[in-house]
Amino acid sequence: MWKFTVRRILIMIPQIILLSVLVFIMAKMMPGDALSGMVDPNVDPERLDEIRENLGWNDPWHIQYADWVGGVFQGDLGQSFRFKMPVTEIIGQRIVNTFWLSVATLVFTYLISIPLGITSGRYNDSLLDQAITSYTYIGFATPLFIFALVMLWVFGFMLGWFPTSGSVAPGLEPGTFEYVMSKIYHLILPAFSMALITTVNTVQYLRSEIIDTKQKDFILTARAKGASESRVYNRHILRNSLLPIAAFFGFEITGLIGGTVFVENIFGYPGMGQLFLESITLRDYSVVTSVVLLFGIASILGALLSDIILSLVDPRIRIK
Amino acid sequence: MAFLNVEDLKVHFPIKGGIFGRTVDHVKAVDGVSLSLEKGTTYGLVGESGSGKTTTGRAIIGLNKITSGKVMFEGKDITNNISRGRSEFRKDVQMIFQDPYSSLNPKKRVIDIVAEPLRNYEKLSKKEEKIRVQELLELVGLSPESILKYPHEFSGGQRQRIGIARAIALKPKLIIADEPVSALDVSVQAQVLNFMQDIQKELDLTYLFIGHDLGVIKHMCDNIGIMYKGRYVEEGTADDIFSNPQHIYTKRLVAAIPDIDPRKRQEQHEFRQEVKAEYEQSYNDYFDDEGLAYPLQPVSDTHRVALPEKG
Amino acid sequence: METKSNETQQIAKSPSGFSIIWRELVRDKLALISLIFLILITVFVYGVSLILDQDEIVRVDLFSIHEPPGEEFILGTDYGGRDIFGQLIIGTRNSLSIGILVTIMTGVIGVIYGLVAGYFGGQIDNIMMRILDFFLILPFLMVVIVFVAIVPTYSVLSFSLIMTAFLWMGIARLIRSKALQEKELDYVQASKTLGSSNVKIMFTQVLPNITSLIIVTMTLNLAANIGLESGLSFLGFGFPESTPSLGTLLSYATNPQTLEYRWWIWVPASILILLLMLAIRNVGEALKRATDARQRRG
Repeated sequence: MWKFTVRRILIMIPQIILLSVLVFIMAKMMPGDALSGMVDPNVDPERLDEIRENLGWNDPWHIQYADWVGGVFQGDLGQSFRFKMPVTEIIGQRIVNTFWLSVATLVFTYLISIPLGITSGRYNDSLLDQAITSYTYIGFATPLFIFALVMLWVFGFMLGWFPTSGSVAPGLEPGTFEYVMSKIYHLILPAFSMALITTVNTVQYLRSEIIDTKQKDFILTARAKGASESRVYNRHILRNSLLPIAAFFGFEITGLIGGTVFVENIFGYPGMGQLFLESITLRDYSVVTSVVLLFGIASILGALLSDIILSLVDPRIRIK
Repeated sequence: MAFLNVEDLKVHFPIKGGIFGRTVDHVKAVDGVSLSLEKGTTYGLVGESGSGKTTTGRAIIGLNKITSGKVMFEGKDITNNISRGRSEFRKDVQMIFQDPYSSLNPKKRVIDIVAEPLRNYEKLSKKEEKIRVQELLELVGLSPESILKYPHEFSGGQRQRIGIARAIALKPKLIIADEPVSALDVSVQAQVLNFMQDIQKELDLTYLFIGHDLGVIKHMCDNIGIMYKGRYVEEGTADDIFSNPQHIYTKRLVAAIPDIDPRKRQEQHEFRQEVKAEYEQSYNDYFDDEGLAYPLQPVSDTHRVALPEKG
Repeated sequence: METKSNETQQIAKSPSGFSIIWRELVRDKLALISLIFLILITVFVYGVSLILDQDEIVRVDLFSIHEPPGEEFILGTDYGGRDIFGQLIIGTRNSLSIGILVTIMTGVIGVIYGLVAGYFGGQIDNIMMRILDFFLILPFLMVVIVFVAIVPTYSVLSFSLIMTAFLWMGIARLIRSKALQEKELDYVQASKTLGSSNVKIMFTQVLPNITSLIIVTMTLNLAANIGLESGLSFLGFGFPESTPSLGTLLSYATNPQTLEYRWWIWVPASILILLLMLAIRNVGEALKRATDARQRRG
């Protein structure tokens, strides 16, 4: 077990290095540099060159890369010219919102998908199963952004049940009960919209997994021994089918990252995804590269998490 | 100079392990096999599954990497040559595969299958190619009209004939036949075997015949080698092996050949029990501490047995 | 790979060919309807856009801003007074074109990559899979958006190249695992003993045996790619506004006014995307069943 984990972590190191190189190349490819936005345009160009020289921007690329990585390790992600403050600080404000949005989405996802998947698998080909299958069929083909738009239109504008933008009602004092409630209230619609789409995979997986397991010999044996139907399901089938779902948890993170970009944009939710889109439109590139780097590391860690859980759940993987 | 000479052939497969996936050990699939074939004869390689007989055959033709040892064909060293692209030896050494179902590409028509070697080595026009393929099909006893059919339209025996037609297309000198009939119905087996003997005479072929069915081996082979856990336990002419087995493993194998005479059933049974008792008793005399065979010692000019130094 | 002569005769003889796929499609009414729908849409969209003057449609007309559907404009106009119906046709054509282009490009790269990795196996496979894993782990959407934003000469071609660069992994992985299975079969070993080169074996022996998988995967990928393209256009990082795609029409809905009161701008495009995705999926699933004997419907 530990051997697999160590090996898996070792694989991660070149991945992170490659990611950082890619992000660095992207940063270098971006037009202009952070200074052109940071300094008063009236400063004479010679002075600018001097500052550039002092900041090491005329050094060969590998030294610049080393400096940049060194900075990242010390938590220095550069300056945002739009907000005129360190990128770390801006991200610190936004990441909390995205974090809670992701948590809410995951909670909704599992709350919806597990009961649906189990019902659909257990009573397959019943009317209920057909209804659930139709839902996954449509959900699979629907792009998230269209679905989110429709949800916002129906529940936000037409019915007016939920707020249509922001993460909290203005004028509330942080820390108060109303503030927290308002935060949750703003979370529900975007998280629910995202969950209804991301849940489709899990429902389909669970359904086919349960139908598969139902026909296995060890289930027949359990029935033949006289185990009650609920015991067969709870102790035998679900144990086998649910564990892999726990393991996919880490991979969900990668999916969530793409999702938040759309959902935060549509619902005007001030998180990392929205920050990313705004920054790239306004060419605030130090923020852009930092967000990409952070989300890249998040998905690498997510995959690591999944692989480790998977190896705990399924001993066959460890041998590989 | 022998036609095909294999000297101390070793094929080891690495076992990967540890954090960095380094090689920690080896499976010694073939561990020091030497054999030599005379032109126009059939050499039988016998053993239970996992004994390394198939690996030996595949290593000779270049499908498995040779760890060490030497393969000489008509006096030339082809140990590393053959696995690399189109050498002349490729034409001269061909193979018949065990499973006639997976050895024919299901998406190819008979003409494409049989003409594959021709297209690689001989520049023929479409018309010449078609005539050659039809001749080959006729030679193996299939209708020349079937060139446009797909493999799944044939029975197992017919498929194996297609496989043979493909193998003899380049007029090879040596054919390695890897259990060519063990996937076929018993009724078809004899047909295919007799046919193989016919074309052997016709085309002056040499066979390396790999098998586990001693009845088949007895029927086909002039010389026989018995393998066990990657090593030879006994080698000799068919007569040496079947009438005068020396090694206890060979004795047991020979004793296991079924006899159709029902009156001898009791006798047979007693004989087998006897051999079994002897096998268990003297196992340690015939195999070393790891359960592997000893190096071969000559018994007669043609007959060699794996026995410990002392005797 | 059939040669031209006798092709029709062979297809009739061999049930492993296109006849099974055709039979499955006809038997599955939904898939058949979907296929007809797709053909009609494609023919209509490409046909009409030949007649239609694209410049005319994307020209701003300040006298007819936000017209609701009516006689002059069947589906109304957008904030620039541009005809929605015309944009819908050109948008569908553009979305389909780029979807097909990206699908083919990722298909070619993925098939070659997967075949090479799976066929050679061992250390080569190991290294190639590590590289693939890295691409797979990247936050796709963000990386693509960054590249779209920083590419100096931005065009439809560079957009599809960027998408391709980060979308070839799925099919590559699938082909690789299939190639790993295929190469163990004796027909591959036989080809080696018959003197065929590795390249020849890969592309003339193994490839014909995985074509059905490729066709199915590429069909399903087409739906996904159209979705991704419209998503990127929706965010403003796909086609420029002068080249409308289905996503461009949807992006007008980020304006709350449009979303709430001017449904004619974005609802038709949404429905069209949905129908396209469903139809392509239906066809893809039918193909999948056709290639998997256990799932065939009779």
